[in-house]
Formats: sequence, C-alpha cells, structure tokens
Amino acid sequence: MDVQKYIASGVLEAYWAGELNEQEMREVEAMASQHPEVKQELEELREALNEFAAMKDALPDEDVLNEAMKEVEESEQNRFWEVLSEDDRSFVKRAKFSLWAVAATILLLISLGFNFYFFGQFQQAREELAQAKVESQQLAQQISDTRENLEYAQLRIAHFLNEDNIHVRMEGEDISPESYANVFWNKKTNAVFISVDNLPEPPHGHQYQLWAIKPGQPPIDAGIFDHNQLVQELKVVKGKVQAFAVTLEKEGGSPVATVDKTYVKGFLQAG
Amino acid sequence: MQQVFTDIPTKTSVEQKIVALLHEGDKQSVRLIFKHYGVVLLNVIQRVVGNRAMSEEVLQQVLLKVWQNAQSYNAQKAGLYSWLVAISRNAALDQRKTKDFKLTQASRDALEVMALENKADASNSIDKMVTEQLLEQLSDHYQILIKMSFFEGYSHQEISDTLNIPLGTVKTRIRMALKQLRAII
Repeated sequence: MDVQKYIASGVLEAYWAGELNEQEMREVEAMASQHPEVKQELEELREALNEFAAMKDALPDEDVLNEAMKEVEESEQNRFWEVLSEDDRSFVKRAKFSLWAVAATILLLISLGFNFYFFGQFQQAREELAQAKVESQQLAQQISDTRENLEYAQLRIAHFLNEDNIHVRMEGEDISPESYANVFWNKKTNAVFISVDNLPEPPHGHQYQLWAIKPGQPPIDAGIFDHNQLVQELKVVKGKVQAFAVTLEKEGGSPVATVDKTYVKGFLQAG
Repeated sequence: MQQVFTDIPTKTSVEQKIVALLHEGDKQSVRLIFKHYGVVLLNVIQRVVGNRAMSEEVLQQVLLKVWQNAQSYNAQKAGLYSWLVAISRNAALDQRKTKDFKLTQASRDALEVMALENKADASNSIDKMVTEQLLEQLSDHYQILIKMSFFEGYSHQEISDTLNIPLGTVKTRIRMALKQLRAII
C-alpha cells in the first residue's frame, strides 16, 4: 500500500475525531506500527489539535484531572484497607479453628521476650569489650611513649657522660627567652648531636636548623632537625667552631641563616 | 538479531511512555493521558453525551477507570488510543442511561449559552490576542470544522448535515484545515 496515499486519505484525521469504529481504529494502529511515517503523522496531528484547543480555550477543565486524581488516591486507599481487612478475616478464621496457633503464638512471644533480654545483655557486653579495648590501646600507647622518653633520656645522659663530647648549652634569645637546647660535638668523629629540650612548636611549613659559627665566616649549616625527636644526630662539623645557634627556617632548611629568627644560641668554652 | 535492534525507535513516543507508566502502576500515567489525550477523548465522549459539562464528568470517570483497569491493558492487542476510546464510549453510553442525563437534556441549550459567555471572559489576555492573530491566517470555516469535529463532538455526518456540505467534502476539508493549522503553529 502507498503510505503517502494512505496518509492523504483522511483516515488519520477521522481516527482522532472518533469517527472510526473499533475495528477501523485497530487497522490504523496496525498501519502505524508498520510504518513510522504514519505513526509520526498521527502524533503530529494529535499535538496540533492539542495546541489549537489550548488557543481556543477548548481544553478540558483542569478540575477534571484534579478530581480524577483525588478519586485515584481514594481508590488506592480503599484497596489498601480491603487487603488489610481480608487479612484480619483470615486470621480470625484460623484462630477459631486452631488452638495450636494460639499456643504457638504465646510461645513465640515468650521466645521473643527472651531474645530481647539476651540481646540487651549481649549488646552491653559488646560495649564493655569495646571500652576495654580502647583502654588497653591507650595504655599501650602510654607505655610506648614512656619507653621512648626513657630512651631519649638515656641517650642524652650518655652524651653528657661521653668524655669525647664537647657540650654546649644554647640559651633562649630575645625572640624566645624561655627556650634552651643542648649540642654535643664529638671531638673524635666531629659528629654533632642536638637535644631538643625546650623549643616552641614551629609554625606550619617551618623547621628548626642548627648552625655552626666560626669567626669571620657566615654561619655553617649543621643540619635541620625534627622538633618532636628529643636527641638526634645531625651533620659532621669540622674546624674551629666558636658557637652553635638554632634559627627558624622554611621547611627543608635554608643555605643561609635567617639570623633575626635565632631562637637559641650558645658559645663553646674557651680552651 | 541486527534487524531487531534497528527496529527499535530512537525516540520514545508519548504513547510508549504512558504505556510503560501504566504497567508500572505510576499515577503519572493518568496525568499524561489527560494532557495528551484529554481533548480527543472529551470529543469522543461528547459525540455520545452531547453536553460538554456532563462530558467532562464522564472524562473524570474515564480517568479513574483507566487507572483501575491499567493492568488489563494489552499493548499487543490494541493501541493506547483505541483502548482509551473503548473505555470512554462505554462510560459515555452508561451516562446516557442515567436519570441525570435525561434531566440535563432539557437544559442543554441554557448551559451552552453559559459556556459561550465563559469563553468570552477568558479571551482578554495578550496571549490570547497573539494567538487570535495567528489563527486569523486559518480561515473561519476551517476553524469551525476543526472545532466541530474535534472539540464539540460532531460526527462527520452531522457536520455535513449542519453545514450543508457533502460528506466527502467534509473529510477533505477537515484534512486541509489540519494541514493549514500545522503550518501555522
């Protein structure tokens, strides 16, 4: 069949006008499902009619939809209640004829009561266990911290007692008068150790750096150090050192000392 | 297998969307039916009932019936519109049997006068003026034909009788009228 001829026959307009009987309408729909052109023409006709109706105030009243939706909601609710009452009825029926069901229900309720009680107990025990775990973790952490402090203290004492070490106590400068730190400089190996005793927490992105000062020279980098570690080995420094000082530098250290950020400083004893 | 995939349309039509929603039991389907098919269904009802206000009441019942019978709709057996039309025609015929219908038949003319007055009130806005201007391009006798055939429930035979035009000409002119309307909007 010639599709264009079919479209031009006026049958599609008659379809929407309600002019066709059931059989004829199905024929149109069968054509539409076989030929996309027919389907599209049908849709466009319907849309054009809807637009024209809107222009001509010929749309069905919006209240029709609103009222229908209300009825739809009500019918849903009714169906819901019907389902519920059906359940009720069947329950009553069964209960009448079977005492076993009643007995089973009572047993079930008792069992539920026990379940509830034991579950409560179980929950409480679980909480207590969790609490104990946390406490034991805290305790382990404390022990580990204490041990670390002890190791540092022992190390520090060892440095103090080591006769090969030159000990320099650095006192707080104007910028931080409360601060102090100790340097141990091994005469044989020239290794430098610092003991971070009292230095404020460095601001974010900054680090402390130790400098060795020789007469007539700019300060020599003796290494950056970690504020949190009490005793640490830094760089090897040789030659005639007059003093040690700690400055605050950007993280990663600086090749040149920022002298006005000197926190602590200490001179070697002459001789 | 290849053939199957090429057969699937790329764009989902309004009809497909509504059918899917109906089967899912989604209330949105009822809204979409009202939006896209409300005009034509009201016309189908009006062809049977005659009175517009009463036809709207029937349309309301139809929407509820559509919802309640959504599960019984079989897209393999009938297109959505012919299913909707079947429900609408049955509801309209039931309405004709009621006492209400017989009583309102008497006051039908009075109601139509009121409806005309309401329309006059609503046509004052600027929007309306713009569309009126647009529609001036569509000649009056075409507008009358569209309204009678699609919004006022006249059958082609009734139009032929009322306007004194041969039945074949009614069909041709309705087609021309819609062609012109689509060209304008």
